[in-house]
Amino acid sequence: MIRFDRVSFTYPGASRPALSEVDLEVGEGELCLVVGPTGSGKSTLLRAVNGLVPRFSGGTLLGTVTVGGRTTEDHAPRELADVVGVVGQDPAAGFVADVVEDELAHVMENLGVAPDAMRRRVEDVLDLLGLHEVRRRPLASLSGGQQQRVAIGAVLTAGPRVLVLDEPTSALDPAAAEEVLAALTRLVHDLGTTVLVAEHRLERVVQYADRVVLVPGGGAPLVHGEPATVLADAPVAPPVVELGRAAGWSTVPLSVRDARRGAGDLRARLAPLRPDDVPGARRAAPPPTSGAVARVEGLHASYGTVPALAGVSLDLRAGEVVALMGRNGSGKSTLLTHLVGLRAPTRGRVEVGGRRPHELAPRDAVRSAGLVPQDPGLLLYHDTVAGECAAGDRDAGLAPGATRAALDRLVPGLHAAAHPRDLSEGQRLALALAVVLAAEPPLVLLDEPTRGLDHAGKRRLVAHLRDLAGAGHAVVLATHDVEVVAEVADRAVVLAEGEVVADGPAREVVVHSPVFAPQVAKVLAPEPWLTVGEVAGALALLDAERPAPVDGGAR
Amino acid sequence: MTARPRPPRLLHPAAWWAWGAGLVVVALRTTNPFLLALVLAVAGFVVASRRSDAPWAGSFAGSLKLGVVIVLVRVAFPVLFGNRLPGTTLFTLPSVTLPDWAAGVSIGGPVTLELVVGALYQGLRLAVVVAVVGAVNSLCSPYRLLRALPDALYEAGVAVTVALSFAPQVAVVARRVREARRLRGRPDRGPAAWRGSVLPVLEGALERAIALAASMDSRGYGRHGTAAPGLRRLAAGLTLAGLVLAGIGAYGVLDPSVPAVLRAPALLAGAAALAAALALAGRRSDRTRYRPDPWAGSEWAVALSGLAAAVGVVVAGRAGAVLDPSVNPLEVPSVPVAAALGVLLAVVPAWAAPEAPALAPRPAPELDVAA
Amino acid sequence: MSATVPSSPAGRSVALRLRTRSGLLLGACSVIGAVAFAWPLVGDPSGSASSAHVGDAPWLFALLLPLLLAIVLAELAEGVLDAKAVALLGVLAACGAALRLPSGGVAGFEPVFFLLVPAGRVLGRGFGFVLGALTLFVSALLTGGVGPWLPFQMLGAAWMGFFAGCLPPARGRVEIAVLAGYAALAALAYGLVMNLSFWPYVAGTDTSVSFSPGAGLAENLRRFWGFHLTTSLGFDLPRAVFTAGFVLVAGRPVLGALRRASRRAAFGAPVTFAGATAPSDPGPGEGVAGPA
Repeated sequence: MIRFDRVSFTYPGASRPALSEVDLEVGEGELCLVVGPTGSGKSTLLRAVNGLVPRFSGGTLLGTVTVGGRTTEDHAPRELADVVGVVGQDPAAGFVADVVEDELAHVMENLGVAPDAMRRRVEDVLDLLGLHEVRRRPLASLSGGQQQRVAIGAVLTAGPRVLVLDEPTSALDPAAAEEVLAALTRLVHDLGTTVLVAEHRLERVVQYADRVVLVPGGGAPLVHGEPATVLADAPVAPPVVELGRAAGWSTVPLSVRDARRGAGDLRARLAPLRPDDVPGARRAAPPPTSGAVARVEGLHASYGTVPALAGVSLDLRAGEVVALMGRNGSGKSTLLTHLVGLRAPTRGRVEVGGRRPHELAPRDAVRSAGLVPQDPGLLLYHDTVAGECAAGDRDAGLAPGATRAALDRLVPGLHAAAHPRDLSEGQRLALALAVVLAAEPPLVLLDEPTRGLDHAGKRRLVAHLRDLAGAGHAVVLATHDVEVVAEVADRAVVLAEGEVVADGPAREVVVHSPVFAPQVAKVLAPEPWLTVGEVAGALALLDAERPAPVDGGAR
Repeated sequence: MTARPRPPRLLHPAAWWAWGAGLVVVALRTTNPFLLALVLAVAGFVVASRRSDAPWAGSFAGSLKLGVVIVLVRVAFPVLFGNRLPGTTLFTLPSVTLPDWAAGVSIGGPVTLELVVGALYQGLRLAVVVAVVGAVNSLCSPYRLLRALPDALYEAGVAVTVALSFAPQVAVVARRVREARRLRGRPDRGPAAWRGSVLPVLEGALERAIALAASMDSRGYGRHGTAAPGLRRLAAGLTLAGLVLAGIGAYGVLDPSVPAVLRAPALLAGAAALAAALALAGRRSDRTRYRPDPWAGSEWAVALSGLAAAVGVVVAGRAGAVLDPSVNPLEVPSVPVAAALGVLLAVVPAWAAPEAPALAPRPAPELDVAA
Repeated sequence: MSATVPSSPAGRSVALRLRTRSGLLLGACSVIGAVAFAWPLVGDPSGSASSAHVGDAPWLFALLLPLLLAIVLAELAEGVLDAKAVALLGVLAACGAALRLPSGGVAGFEPVFFLLVPAGRVLGRGFGFVLGALTLFVSALLTGGVGPWLPFQMLGAAWMGFFAGCLPPARGRVEIAVLAGYAALAALAYGLVMNLSFWPYVAGTDTSVSFSPGAGLAENLRRFWGFHLTTSLGFDLPRAVFTAGFVLVAGRPVLGALRRASRRAAFGAPVTFAGATAPSDPGPGEGVAGPA
C-alpha cells in the first residue's frame, strides 16, 4: 500500500540528509508503528507519504514514494487527499471551520464530492468515531480527545485507504488516548485501513501494531519488521519489553496480558525480596529531618462561578518528589498556579517558605517557587539560546553564565545561536527548566513535562529530578505519565473534582490502582514492584546470593 | 388551523441581510424621530424573539451603545461649532476663536434649540442604521455568512473563518504569556508586560499557521478546476463595465451639472454589474457545498418583509407623508400613519423566521487547560 | 530524470504574487475609492445645500466600496492564494484583530499597524493589501463594530499594508528606521483619511467645520483642517508617535519572526524530485539532484 524505494531526502539548506536510503513497504490493512528518538526523521518519513515532503517544505527527494499506486512525484498532496489522510499532533491547529459537521465535510467539498454522498459520508464518520452527539458543537468547545477524533474524521470522510498520524495521543490524557486508539483499531480491523502511526508512548500502542519501524536517526539505517523482533533490541521499548529482556525471556511480551502469562515464575523468583531491599530503590518514607517547604490549607479556588479546587490541604517537604495525578479538569494545574502565586485563593491559605506567594513581587516569587508550565515555549521569548540564558541570569540576579551552566548539566552541547522554537521538545523543556532553576527556588513545580519527550529525554528528566530532590528541593510533578511517576515519585497525590482523593507513598497509592499502575506493577501484581530497574536490581541481588558453583567437578 | 411546528434552524444569512437592507433604506429616507424610533423598536423586537445564545448574539446591545455615542457626538458638534443662526437660544457657551493657522474656527456661542434638534435627528438616523446592522449581525451567524459567499471570495472566506476561530485563542495565549512572565520574575502588569508578550504570541501563531497550511494542503485545498472560458470572459466584461459605470456614477453624484441619469442610477447600475461579476467570477465546477442553507418560505417572508417596509415608506413619502420634519422653523413632527404601517410590516420575521437552534453550553473558562 | 517543481513562481519569495491584471484592477478601484473618501472636499452632491439631504452620496459610496473591495480581493486571490498564504492571512488577521480588542477602535487607537507594517514589508504588498482589509473586517465582526465606516477602514488599512510592501529594500537599523518613519506617517495618514470619510456623517452641513457643498476645494480644505484639528489630531499625533516607538523597539524581533515563518513556509523554495539513484551513485549529496 505504501512503498518507499531507496528514498533519501534533504531539507533545503541542510548539510545532512534527513532520510537516507529508506526502503520500506507497508501492506494493506496493517497498523504500522514508527518509533525513534526525537529528531530522528520520523515526522519527515510520515510527511513523505503524502508528498508534503518535499512539496510543502522544499528540498530534494531521491527515490520514489508510492502510495495506493500513485507516486508523490506525479501527484501533489492535494491530489492524494482521497488516498492518504494525514493527521498532525495538534488537532486544533488544523481546523478550518466552526462546527464539527462543517469540518468533516471540508475535505469532501475540496474534492468536489456530490452533496448526497457528502451527507451520507458525514453521517457514517460521525457514527464510526462516536461524534454524533457533538456534531453541531463549536470546535473550540470540545475536549482534547474529541478534537483529535474530529481531526481523524476530517480526513476520513474522503475515504482514504491510508491514514498517517503523527503522535496523535501525545497531548491527551490516558482516557482520551484510549478513545483515539480504539477508534484507530476499529478502522484497521473493520475497514481495513492502513494506518501509519508515530508514537513516543509505546506502551499504549505496541500491542495493536502489526509492524514496527525503528528510525534510529544519526544516519543509521531503518529497522523494520515484526514488533517483537524489532523491539527485542531496540533502544526504545515499552516497560513490558524491557522487563522481558531483564528477566531473560525468550520471546518479549508486547502487552501486559502477554507478560502476565509468562510472569508466574518471575513472581515466584522475586517472592523472597521486597523492593526496599534493592540498593538504590526509593525508601517508603522521606527522610524524617526534612521540613515543610510549602503548606496548603483548605484551599478553595474557582474560575468565576466554576469551582476548581474544593478544600485541598497538602504539605510539601524538602527532598521529596511528589506526583500530582488526576484527570483533566481535576485541579492539578490550578493547584500549581496557586503554589507559584499566579492566582489568589478564594478561601484557605497557601504558604511557601512561610510567605504567601500571591503577595510577593515577581522577583521574590521566583525565588520561592518555580513553575515550568505545560507549554515551556511560553517562558521563552528571546531568539537565541544564549539570549535566554543571559536573560535568565539577569532576571534572577546571578552571575553571567549560571543559567548556561545549569542548561549544560541538563542537555549538553546546545548551540548558543539556535532559536528556541527550533529546538526539540526535550531541549526546550531543558532550557525552560534551566531558566526556572537558575534562581534555585526551594519548590520546583512542573506541569506535564513529559509530553512530547522521547525515551532518552524522559530518562534525563528523571535523573535530574532525583538530583534536585537529593539537593534538598521539593519537587511537584503534575503528570498523566504513570511510568515516569513510577520512576521518580516518592509520594503520590491524586486529585478528583478539586479534592484530594489519595495522598501517600507512591508505591502504596499507585500499585493497586487500575488507572495509575505502571506496566511492571500490573504484570507482577500483587507484588509491589514499580519499575524494571527495581526488578533488574532484585534479580542481580538474587544472582549474587546464589552460591557459586563448586570448583572442580566437571572440568 | 394549527400551525405546523417548525424545527429550529438557522435562516439563510442573505434573508436577514435583505431584511436589514430594507430597514436601512427606511432609516435613510427619513429623519422623523417617531419613524426612526419605530424602526429601532421593530429591529429590537425581532432580535429579542429570534436570536440565539451564540457569542455573536450580543452585537445588537453593543450597537445600541455605539448608537448612543454617535448621537452624543453628533449633537456635540453643532453645540461647539454650529452655524449661529437665529432661533430659540437654550444656553450660551463662552466663545473662542481659534487662530488663523487653526482654520479660524470659532468655538462656542449661543446654542439654539433648532441646532440641537436638527443634529439630534441626523444623529438618530445614523444610530438607527448602526443598530439595524447590529441587529442583523446578532441574528445571523458570521460563519454561515462566510459559507454563503460567492465562489470568487472563497479563499478570503476561509482566511476570515480561520481568523474568527483563532482570535479568541490569541487573547487567551496572550494572557498566559503575560502570566508566564511572572514565572521568570518579570512584572506581569503594565506596558512592559504587553510589549514583552508580543513575540511569543506571534511566534506561536505563525507556527500554527504552518501546521494549518500543511493540514489544508493534505485535505485537498487548492485544487483548481477551470471555469468555462465564456463565463470568465463574461465576468471580466461585467467587471469592466461595472467599474466604468461606477466611475461615471461617482463623478455624476458629485457634480450637479450632470444629467440625473448619470448620477445615482449609473452608480447603482455599476454596483449591480460588479455584484454580478462577483457572483459569476471564479465559479468552479469542482468544489461543492455541504448542506447549504436552503432558501425556503421563511426566507422569502423575511426578505420580502424588509423590502415591503422600504417600498411602503417610499410610497408614503411620495404620497405626501412628512418624512423630514422641518427644523427651521421648529415644529413638532407629525406621525405619518401610512409610513408607520409600512415599517410595521418589517416585524413579520419575529414570527415568520424559525427559532435558532439552542447551542450546547460553552465550557467554563479553563479549568485544567491543555496548552 | 529529475523534475524541478517551482512551489511558488517567479523566484521571489512573496506570499502573494501581484499580477499585472490584479495591479491594474487594484489601481482602478483605489481611484474610485479615493473619490469615495475625498468627495466632500470637491463635490456638490445635491445642488441645494439643505441640511437634511446631503444627498445620498455618503450612502451610495458606502454601498459601492464593499463591492469594489470584494472585486479586488477576489481578483488578488484568484488562483494565487495557496494554503500557506491563506493560513498566514487568517492567523495574522486574528492577531491583528486581537490587538484591537482591548481598545475597541471605531475611530481611535489602531495598534493593528504594529503587525500590518512589518507583515506588508516581509510578505509583500499584495499580501499586505489583503491582510489590512481582512484584519479590519475580522475585528469588526468580533467587536460588533460593523457600520458604514467599515469599508473605509478596510480600504485605508489595505492601502497601509500595500505601501508598506513598496518600501525600498534595506536591512538592519536602516530598515527599522524606515519602517518606524513609515508607520508614523501611515498612522497620521490613516487618521486623516478616516476623518475625511466620516466627516459628512458626523458633522453634517450645519456647522462651521462641516463641508460646504459647492464651496470649492480651498474652502472645504480649510473647514476640514478645522474639523481634523479639533477632533482627532489630538489622538493621531500620540498614536503616530506610539506606533513609531513600538516599531523602533519591537520591530526587529517581529520582523525576525515573520521572516522565519516565511522561510519555514518555504515560499519559493525549490522542490526537486529525482528518480531512484543508480547503484554506483556516491549517495545523497548536499541538496544536489542525482541523475536517474
